[in-house]
Amino acid sequence: IMADDKDVLRDVWFGRIPTCFTLNQDEVTEREAEAYYLLLPRVSYLTLVTDKVKKHFLKVMRTEDVEEMWFEYEGTPLKWHYPIGVLFDLHASNSVLPWSITVHFKNFPDRDLLHCPSSSVIEAHFMSSIKEADALKHKSQVVNDMQKKDHKQLWMGLQNDKFDQFWAMNRKLMEYPTEEGGFRYIPFRIYQAMSDRPFIQKLFRPVSPEGNAYTLGDLLKEMYPAAITNDGEQKRYQVVIHGIEPLLETPLQWLSEHLSHPDNFLHICVVPTPSD
Amino acid sequence: MSGCALNEKEFFSCCQLLLQQSEHLRDGWSWEAVQGSEEGYLRKTVLRSVLADCYDAQKQTETASDSVSPVSAHPIQELQQQERTQPVVATCFHSDGIIGDDGDEDDAVCVLSEGSSHVLQYEYHILYSCSYSAPVLYFRAFTLEGRSLTLEDVWSSVHPNFRHCLQNSPLTAITQQEHPLLGQPFFMLHPCRTEEFMRPVLQEAQEQPRPVNYVLLWLSVVGPVVGLDVPLKYCTQLHLSSLQHSASDLMSSTVETGVRRFARKTCK
Repeated sequence: IMADDKDVLRDVWFGRIPTCFTLNQDEVTEREAEAYYLLLPRVSYLTLVTDKVKKHFLKVMRTEDVEEMWFEYEGTPLKWHYPIGVLFDLHASNSVLPWSITVHFKNFPDRDLLHCPSSSVIEAHFMSSIKEADALKHKSQVVNDMQKKDHKQLWMGLQNDKFDQFWAMNRKLMEYPTEEGGFRYIPFRIYQAMSDRPFIQKLFRPVSPEGNAYTLGDLLKEMYPAAITNDGEQKRYQVVIHGIEPLLETPLQWLSEHLSHPDNFLHICVVPTPSD
Repeated sequence: MSGCALNEKEFFSCCQLLLQQSEHLRDGWSWEAVQGSEEGYLRKTVLRSVLADCYDAQKQTETASDSVSPVSAHPIQELQQQERTQPVVATCFHSDGIIGDDGDEDDAVCVLSEGSSHVLQYEYHILYSCSYSAPVLYFRAFTLEGRSLTLEDVWSSVHPNFRHCLQNSPLTAITQQEHPLLGQPFFMLHPCRTEEFMRPVLQEAQEQPRPVNYVLLWLSVVGPVVGLDVPLKYCTQLHLSSLQHSASDLMSSTVETGVRRFARKTCK
């Protein structure tokens, strides 16, 4: 039995990843640092939800040894501007929980990571994604019709983990003219762990010229055919959204309305099937 | 061209045209293709020398003073700080070591002044944004030792006339972004207002009976904001036959219009 669509929205919003933060061995400390455990919201951003992590490790460090905090998983610097759930699905989806992240306060890898000097940078990035998504869905008409306080409500909803506050405004971004059958284009990004290219993002309509709804499978066939298993082949890749593998027959429009992140993008991770 | 939006095929054609002219003018642009598809971007690297004194002074002051613009494509830049009265020089030369030729009026002059100079490597990329149907300018800069320039460093290289406008308008501001094809941090001029300020520029250009290179026109408006000059010779190359108005007149008038409108839009 399919859960109500509204339940899906709540499940997406309240998804959590149990995480264990450990201080990088090479950091200079005054005494040994204990690991710090935290449940991370899938839909938020690392630098937005790790103030407690920072406070915890600063207790054992001298201020002169502390620069901009950054995170790393098994040698890979973690991009704070990607939603947490995307980072997990992309790098650690088939590993044992809790997710083990290493914390650094030195040697910021500025060739790999964007700087994040304050939460206003996170807000700017988040709002920029929302605006880009609306440019694709509605030629920016809905987001431009909103007032500054409406934009603020979207950000505050995310920052303070307020589902109702967020969706009171976000539902406007999920509307479309009934005669169109869907958005103009679907905001999506496809991530592949083993690729030079950070993601694939192109124009894709949710409805065919004949009026048929395109599916997740149709999107992948067009954008990343290697992700689709042909008949008789062994399944090489998993297509993961919010930690689950939706059926490839799922209509893309439905996915966009229900499984997008708060930034209004559908983030799709293609990861190798684990070999047992 | 559909209105003032640019589709990806048009972007590709405009880039190839620009590339041909660049090769002729030895302006240093190259096309980086993605996996043998038509997808790709234009790229150019420029070396600039900046005087150590003004560069370090930049780092020391919290708020960048409007008068200092040490990194510029113009050969001579006057510093209006209290300490300096004599002109100082930022020479602009291309990565192959040849002194840049910005047109007959601006001969690159080599005047040595006091203090040692830093050489910075600027890298400019022009990509296509399918979300905004517009070209987007990405750039980054390093010292020769490989240190990345910060956003503060970069602001100091923005022409003072634009700095005030851009800082007040986050949507057209310079922000750090992930390069969509390389995955590395770059600075970007936000594209969401491009269609707005290109519209009147294009309309004016389209009233003349000649083809317009959207990417070239756009670049001549936004490039100078971040120290990237587009020599007028690009335009004169297009038209070998004599016409009622010289192509460079058209170029400079449309660029001027474009710059004025760009500044007006960003100062809203």
